[in-house]
Amino acid sequence: MTLTVPPSSSDSSSELPWDAAVEQAVDRLRGEYAGRVRPQLVVRVVRESRRDLGGSPVGALPELVERLARYRLGTHVG
Amino acid sequence: MGIGSGSVDVSAVRHILSDGRVLLDDVSFRVGEGARAALVGENGAGKTTLLRIIAGDLVPEAGAIARTGGLGVMRQFIGSVRDDTTVQRMLVDLAPPAVREAWHAVEAAELAMMETDDEPTQMTYANALAHWGDVGGYDIEITWDTVTVAALGVPYDRCKYRELSTLSGGEQKRLALEALLRGPDQVLLLDEPDNYLDVPGKRWLEERLLETRKTVLLVSHDRELLARVADRVITVEGGTAWVHGGGFASYPEARSARHERLAELRRRWDEEHQRLIDLVRTMQQQAANSPDMANRYHAMQTRLAKFEAAGPPPERPPEQKVAMRLRGGRTGVRAVIAEGLELTGLMQPFDAELWFGDRVGVLGANGAGKSHFLRLLAGQEVAHTGSWRLGARVVPGFFAQTHAHPEWQDRTPVDLLWHGETGPGAGGRAGIDRGRAMAALRRYGLHGAADQPFRTLSGGQQARFQILMLELGGATLLLLDEPTDNLDVLSAEALEEALAAFEGTVLAVTHDRWFARSFDRFLVFGSDGRVYESAEPVFDETRVARAR
Repeated sequence: MTLTVPPSSSDSSSELPWDAAVEQAVDRLRGEYAGRVRPQLVVRVVRESRRDLGGSPVGALPELVERLARYRLGTHVG
Repeated sequence: MGIGSGSVDVSAVRHILSDGRVLLDDVSFRVGEGARAALVGENGAGKTTLLRIIAGDLVPEAGAIARTGGLGVMRQFIGSVRDDTTVQRMLVDLAPPAVREAWHAVEAAELAMMETDDEPTQMTYANALAHWGDVGGYDIEITWDTVTVAALGVPYDRCKYRELSTLSGGEQKRLALEALLRGPDQVLLLDEPDNYLDVPGKRWLEERLLETRKTVLLVSHDRELLARVADRVITVEGGTAWVHGGGFASYPEARSARHERLAELRRRWDEEHQRLIDLVRTMQQQAANSPDMANRYHAMQTRLAKFEAAGPPPERPPEQKVAMRLRGGRTGVRAVIAEGLELTGLMQPFDAELWFGDRVGVLGANGAGKSHFLRLLAGQEVAHTGSWRLGARVVPGFFAQTHAHPEWQDRTPVDLLWHGETGPGAGGRAGIDRGRAMAALRRYGLHGAADQPFRTLSGGQQARFQILMLELGGATLLLLDEPTDNLDVLSAEALEEALAAFEGTVLAVTHDRWFARSFDRFLVFGSDGRVYESAEPVFDETRVARAR
């Protein structure tokens, strides 16, 4: 099963810093989806979610990113 | 736009009541930048209606309101909220419109997330949060934290879901005032902001209003507060409004002078009117005999018509006549005896004796149990230890601070008077027919509202009606909880005169410094739980610190 995630574009959003919101979400979702989704796809989904939520308040980002990434991964895994 | 740059212009406003009566006509005034204007007038004159028009709640039939600066409004009902409104909800309601809208969007998105957790819903939520940040929502939450700490002594996060009904009236008012005074709005409309505040609270309010650079238009019946704070006085009377450009100290004189001037102008107009009528009549007779006079006769007719078309100057406003007849009656010498009385959790045990004819002011801190004490004496269920009793022939009559009469809300004054009433504090009042009811209502200046539901009466009208019920109930012990809070100055004076003539005992909780000075002695409920007697009014008891 492959995850249909748009490839990372070369725009600035793909250069997002590896911030706490991404780091925490990746750590948790890697464990949660271990064996079902390749770790590098988890990273990519989280980074894309982080990019899509770019205008959100910094304080709310960790929760928003993890939630959106989990939803996207869940949709993929079915 | 900085603080202090707000103003309000009211021009030629006209408002007609649903029954067709003109409540306000040609009301014009300006509250300039940084002004502290008091809006005064008799109960029912239209002060609150005018504030609602300025606030945009009501659209006037004619005229316009122009405003610069954001508008913050504290409505009269704050202090008597008894529904499930939370601290958070009230703070949101007091915030600028953009903040309110953003908050509602976040709330709606959160609710939607509970139903559906899909991507569009999450993005809507994220956008709502982003908008909340853009309109300054996070900054205002920091302000709310300062507000709740100042008003209630607890951080915002610890009290935001607390219902206002669990707070005292004074705490509700203080919370709203802190929010508005610390908030971004440059123009504040404050409808009776001092109601429910204890005296330290009123003094705090006076200081804050004196130091704020915001533009303030306030309704208050507290003469001490008006004298300290207001730099101009706008009076609503006679169906219109006029402005006294000085403070409250010189206001009574200015009002008398205005009334005399209006009366004089009206007298001159009437004289001139009569003179013109007489001239027309004379010339009419002369014209019948001399054709040469016909032109002069017609010219005089035209002059009279123009004079009448221009209309008379405004009449001198009628003086409100409130005649309260609290008769009372002879009771046992000792009217109230309390021995080792303690209202559970509120105070230390105390003894008290009230004698027939005593006028006792109950003063002290908010939350110290003053109102509970009155309710206990009125025969209501109040947890206590120790003992208390009323003397022979003592019939209590209770005036409730918050006008908490749910059973009255949809009934009219005439209907309530038609049916008698029994029960604690009611005094076994017998019913009276419509004719007598109207006569009684007229004495209290309430005949115009005789057939309106009680809930539609203004706070002052409700207060006067309660006093009428006490009169008719035959009470010999009046238990009054903040009776002057919603009364205009004239009605408060009438109440004071009625109490002076009352044959019986009066026990009144009050934070009205002027009213309190008319009492003989004082029972002071201290913030340390001690209840003690004082020959002089004591106003500096601080609020009771309660665990939160």
